[in-house]
Amino acid sequence: MSGKKKNLPLVKEPRERKRSEVAGRPMVRDASLRDAPHHEAVGGACESEPLILRSRAKPGVSKDKGALHSSALYRLMAWLSPSYPVGAFSYSSGIEWAVETGDVKDAATLKEWLAVMMEQGGGFCDAVFLAHAHRATLDDDGRALRAVAELAAAFAPSKERHLETTAQGRAFVEATRAAWHCPALDLLAKAWDGPVAYPVAVGVAAAGHGIAVEPALHAFLHAVAANWISAGVRLVPLGQTDGQRVLAALEPVIATTAQRALTSSLDDIGSAAFRADLASMKHETQYTRLFRS
Amino acid sequence: MQDSDRIFAANRARGRIALGVASADGYTRRTQVDEEGSLRVRFPNRIAAECEAVIVNTAGGVAGGDRFAIEVAVGAGADLVVTGAAAEKVYRAIGTDSEMSVTLSVAAGGSLRWLPQETILFDRARLDRSIDVDLAEGASLLLAEAVVFGRSAMGERVAQGKLTDRWRVRRGGRLVFAETLRLDGGIADMLGKPAVARGGAAIATLLLVPGSDDAVANVRALGEHFTGEVGLSCWNGIALARLCAQDGAALRRDLVAVLAALDSRTLPRLWLN
Repeated sequence: MSGKKKNLPLVKEPRERKRSEVAGRPMVRDASLRDAPHHEAVGGACESEPLILRSRAKPGVSKDKGALHSSALYRLMAWLSPSYPVGAFSYSSGIEWAVETGDVKDAATLKEWLAVMMEQGGGFCDAVFLAHAHRATLDDDGRALRAVAELAAAFAPSKERHLETTAQGRAFVEATRAAWHCPALDLLAKAWDGPVAYPVAVGVAAAGHGIAVEPALHAFLHAVAANWISAGVRLVPLGQTDGQRVLAALEPVIATTAQRALTSSLDDIGSAAFRADLASMKHETQYTRLFRS
Repeated sequence: MQDSDRIFAANRARGRIALGVASADGYTRRTQVDEEGSLRVRFPNRIAAECEAVIVNTAGGVAGGDRFAIEVAVGAGADLVVTGAAAEKVYRAIGTDSEMSVTLSVAAGGSLRWLPQETILFDRARLDRSIDVDLAEGASLLLAEAVVFGRSAMGERVAQGKLTDRWRVRRGGRLVFAETLRLDGGIADMLGKPAVARGGAAIATLLLVPGSDDAVANVRALGEHFTGEVGLSCWNGIALARLCAQDGAALRRDLVAVLAALDSRTLPRLWLN
């Protein structure tokens, strides 16, 4: 992100400034340019359209159409990078079993398996949980936040997938509380005392830092897909370039999944990935295992 | 409203059963039996420690726009097993989806085995089903639901259709398991995908509460005796099994074996015909 690009404001400026023209579709609208140190990030109520951020004073988002404020980008890249200490690398979501059975044996079969998991499986469901946790946080609605947190924690298809989402959720909350604290995390702790599913933790933190839901969803789903691919690359095994080809091929799948999640109610969640769920159960007794799921 | 619409609407089946049982002197007795529309419930056995209820749909199947609701309440210490007189067939829907809602509650010390026979979907069937379970602490539940996509022995396949099956299970007020199976659109193409069913046309999900690692180990010990695939897991106080098979006959063989290994009680006789 170069500072020469004048349409991406990098300088903190507490005043309104002229809307600049940036190509691309809008991710955020009418958000103020006012930036704030991240420790002052908001977690409270604000006026918002369903799932699209439109507030008076949101740090981390810019007013520019299509532009994501650099601090929002910075935080999403930090939280959803493989180096964020949630232990993502140790989970394969049952892909290890799918490789064992030969269901996943090359880049093409990996892409097909993951497209189902993303579009019609856990990826889509997690995206809906993230979007609803984000909205409940913006609305400062503890009851709604509790409802989505409870459903997301119960919505695991097996013991290992339950561990995968709740262990990463807990680690994400702890790391974020330590390094990127925002009051929204307190709202979550107050609303829900059970295990926290990973997408719920990310949705709450993103809203708490004033990051719009759409880029947060894209960053989250990218991280999930990249982690699945990384497992596939190690297990099949595949070359790094093949892994990138799969990630490139999944870009439109992730885009449509994120878009669908934005307009889905909690009752719209659902999965068709029956054998992917079955694989995560069979993985429990797999003879040789590199992964925890 | 056109005549054809009126005739269509007038011919939609409605059905409701509200069944309650309670324990008295070591017997499980019926305390509530309400029947409406095309749903009936029959009790083929003498009054015993466990009550067996058989649901009959006199409409002979489920068509588009039909709506059914079944409520079952098991009192403290009572034992109930519920099954169906036959597999439930869901026929091609024109326009509206078919709806089926199942509400099960079990009080402390009570036990419910919910073991209907398979649901068979025909091409272009559209079924929207929900199963809500409310268990007290100390209640037990064995629940099995099997879905067969077209009778493959008859050369049938479900090219298009819709199935949503929404399960929400609470134990002591806490949500311990939730899932929604959703297949909408080109069902045969979707079932062909390895991550969905790898060409299998029959799936089942079993839930056991309280779950135990021993029960799961008993099923796993059957190992390679299954015709199709069987996965098991135990967490959050529940045990869950998923079965995926080529056709309904293979699925039933595996299902009977899994049920026998999970639960020592005998299956309702209708299951063994």
